[in-house]
Amino acid sequence: MIRVHELTKRYGEQEVVKQVSFQVEEGEIFAFLGPNGAGKSTTVQMLTTLIRPSGGSAEINGYDVVKQEQQVRLQIGVALQETGIDEDLTGEELLLLQGRLFGMTREEAKARALELLRLVGLEEDGAQRVGRYSGGMKRRLDLALTLVHRPTILFLDEPTTGLDPASRQQIWNEVRRLNEEFNTTIFLTTQYLEEADQLADRIAIIDEGRLIAEGTADELKGMIGGERIELTFSEGAAAERVRAAFGGTVEKGRLILPSTGMETLSQVVRYLDEHQLTAETLLVKQPSLDDVFIRLTGHAYEKEGE
Amino acid sequence: MWKETLLLTKRSLLVTLRNPFSFIPNLIISVFFLLVYTSGLSGISALPQFGGVDYLNFILPVSIVSGAVGGAGGAGQALVKDIENGYFARLLLTPVSRTAIVLGPMIAGMLQLFVQTLLIFGMAFLLGLTIPAGAPGFFFTVLLALGFGLGFAGYSVGVALKTRNAQAAQAGTLLFFPLIFLSTTFVPKELIEAEWLKVAATINPTTYIMEGMRGVLLWEDIDWSALSKGLGVALVLGLAMVVFAATNARSALKK
Repeated sequence: MIRVHELTKRYGEQEVVKQVSFQVEEGEIFAFLGPNGAGKSTTVQMLTTLIRPSGGSAEINGYDVVKQEQQVRLQIGVALQETGIDEDLTGEELLLLQGRLFGMTREEAKARALELLRLVGLEEDGAQRVGRYSGGMKRRLDLALTLVHRPTILFLDEPTTGLDPASRQQIWNEVRRLNEEFNTTIFLTTQYLEEADQLADRIAIIDEGRLIAEGTADELKGMIGGERIELTFSEGAAAERVRAAFGGTVEKGRLILPSTGMETLSQVVRYLDEHQLTAETLLVKQPSLDDVFIRLTGHAYEKEGE
Repeated sequence: MWKETLLLTKRSLLVTLRNPFSFIPNLIISVFFLLVYTSGLSGISALPQFGGVDYLNFILPVSIVSGAVGGAGGAGQALVKDIENGYFARLLLTPVSRTAIVLGPMIAGMLQLFVQTLLIFGMAFLLGLTIPAGAPGFFFTVLLALGFGLGFAGYSVGVALKTRNAQAAQAGTLLFFPLIFLSTTFVPKELIEAEWLKVAATINPTTYIMEGMRGVLLWEDIDWSALSKGLGVALVLGLAMVVFAATNARSALKK
C-alpha cells in the first residue's frame, strides 16, 4: 500500500511537485498520467528513496520513505525511465549480482536468475553481454532485475516510452500478469492516455506538479459528461452559427457539442437542413481521457516531440 | 557491508577487464616514463649530493606516482558511465550501504594501480634495479602506492559523483599532474634552487609519498621518518576521499 500526503519537491525557487496526496491499495494498478515535465519522475524518485522530499510525507507498506529507507527498498521494485543496466555484463551476471546485493546466497541468486530469465523470455540470451541486446530485450531484462527480490510493490516510470507497439503490448501483458498472478501492486507513470486507460484500475492526472484529478477511467470520463457530437465544417462561419444555436466550443472549424442522446442529434441535423448548412463530418463520440485532460487543464495534451 | 563491497569490487574489476583500453594506454605511458628518465637523465646521479645512489632507484617512485595520477581517473570515468546508463541508480535502490557502493569502484581502481605498480617494478628489475633494503623496500613502496592510489581513485569517484561528467573525472586527477613537477621529483630537495619551488614541494602531499618511497628504495637502512610521513599522508588522503565520495553518492541523481 502506498500512502502519500502533501508530498512536495522544490529545486531552489521552483516547485516541481506541489502538495500531492493520494493512496494506492494493495493489488491495485495505479497510473500517474501527465505530459513531460509534469513531475511524474520526481514523484517516483521521492517514493523510491532516491531523492528526499522537500515537504509532506509518504509511506510504503507502512514504512516512511525518509526515516525507514532500508525497509522501503526491500518492499519495492523500481524500473526507472532509463533502464538501469551495465552493458559490459551479461544478463545472468547482472541478475546474480542483484540477488546477492539483496542478501541471497550464491545458489539462491543463481536459481532466481534462471527463473527470471525464463519469465521474461531471455533464457537463450542470459550468457550474452547486454550491449548486444535489442531495446525491447533490455526493457525485459530491466523488468527482471526489478523483480529479483520479489517486491510487493512495483514502480514503473514510463515503462513503454520509446517502444514500438509490439514491445509495448508485451510489456502491458507482463504488467497485467504480475498483477494477477502475484497480486503485485503497481504504480506506473505514463504520458500515454491509452496506456493508462488500458492498464490502470485508477488514474491520477498530474499537470505542472499538481494532482488535478483522480479516479477510474470511467469516473474521469464521467466528469465531463456523456457523449458528445463533433461536427466539422469547411467554413468557420457555419460552425459559429451552429454554436450560437446549440452552445459548445469551436476550434479550427470543428464544433464540439455536449449531447443528451438521440434527441440532440436529430435537432442538430434538422437545424443544418433548415439553414442549408453542410457539415463535412458528423460524429457521435464517447469522451476520451484526452477530453478530460483538456477540460481540466485548459490546454491540450502535449505528447513528446510535438 | 564488507561482503557487498567485495561483490561490487569484483564487478568493477570485471568491467575494467572487459574494457582494456581504459587502462592499457596509461600503463604504457608509465613504463615509457621510466625508460626515458633512466636512459636520458641518469648522469645526474654522478653528482656528489646523490651520494652514490642509482638514478633508477631515485626515479622509480616518479614513474609509480605519475602512473597512479594518470590511472586513477579511470575509476571516476567508470562511475560516470554507471550514472549515465542508470546502473548507479539501480545500485542506490538496493539495501546496500552508500559507502559500499562508492568503495567498489575505488578499490577496483586501487587494485588496477597495484597491478600497474607491479608491472613498473617488473620493468625496473629488467633494467637492472636492485633494492639495497631488500624485500621491505619493495613491500613499503607498494603499500605507499596502494594508499596513494586509493586516495586518487576516491578523488576521481567523488568528482564523478559531483559533476556527473567523464571528462571532469579524468581532468580532476590530471589537475594534480603539475604536483608531480612541483615536488622533489627529479632532484633531491637540497638541489632545488628556487625558493617558491621549495615551498611548493613542502606543502605538496605528492612529495611525502615520493620521499617515503625513496626512503625505502635508496639505501640499505630504511628512512623510517620519511616512510611514516608518507604512510600518514597516504592514510589521511585515502580516508578523506572515501568520505568525500560517500557524501556525494546521493547528489549524483539530482537533475
